[in-house]
Amino acid sequence: MDLQNLGYALTQVVHNFGASAVLGGAVASLWLAPRAELHRCMAWLVLSGWAAQIASGATFGAISFYYYGQFPDLSTVAMVALAIKVACAVSGFALAAFYLRYGASRPESWHRSVWLILTILAATALTAAAFLRWFS
Amino acid sequence: MHFHSLFRGIIFALSIALSSTCVAADAPYAKITFPSDGAKLGAMSQNRIDYEVVPGPQGDHIHLYVDNKEAVILRKLSGSHELDPLPQGAHTLCIKVVNKAHVPIGVEQCVKVSVE
Repeated sequence: MDLQNLGYALTQVVHNFGASAVLGGAVASLWLAPRAELHRCMAWLVLSGWAAQIASGATFGAISFYYYGQFPDLSTVAMVALAIKVACAVSGFALAAFYLRYGASRPESWHRSVWLILTILAATALTAAAFLRWFS
Repeated sequence: MHFHSLFRGIIFALSIALSSTCVAADAPYAKITFPSDGAKLGAMSQNRIDYEVVPGPQGDHIHLYVDNKEAVILRKLSGSHELDPLPQGAHTLCIKVVNKAHVPIGVEQCVKVSVE
């Protein structure tokens, strides 16, 4: 089995599950009845998902650099999409961490706003991913 | 006698199988068939690039570069692509085979053209 393709494939597995976690966790928290314990679990899931997205995204670049000594050649559209993805990932990770650290004493409306923002960030990142994939 | 014929038959079958394997595993290459290196193109013409590529096991598709800037993704492995209008002067056209992650794998060809 080709190690390069195996590396890309395993990284893609982590990336895909990370994407599922950030969007699924945020949407579920928006729709489910507010329960502090459940929301903390979901926040951990979303935080882990964003961490997985960031780590696997960096690993894609690292594999390319290891095998070819350079990063992917991206068009302008793809570069913009990548920048959007990175911004969403950093923001999503920071917001989920903030929620876990400081969210306990906040009112319900604040919680709902955070989950809404996390949903928008996840949906935006997934949309940008499609442009990054097909406009590169 | 019987074993001798059988042995020859096996050798013949193996040689056919091996040669067909070699044909299937074509060495990767990228070739710009038009324009040729050093060609002069018309500034008012609808210019195009013709190409053919064998991507090899690591390659997936092609990126076309005009003056070192990615211009378009080519997913057909051979064909023709109409270029956007080029300003007068010297230009470099390159096609590079890239993998699924859009990383050039080192299979490429460039031509220098002059637009007049």
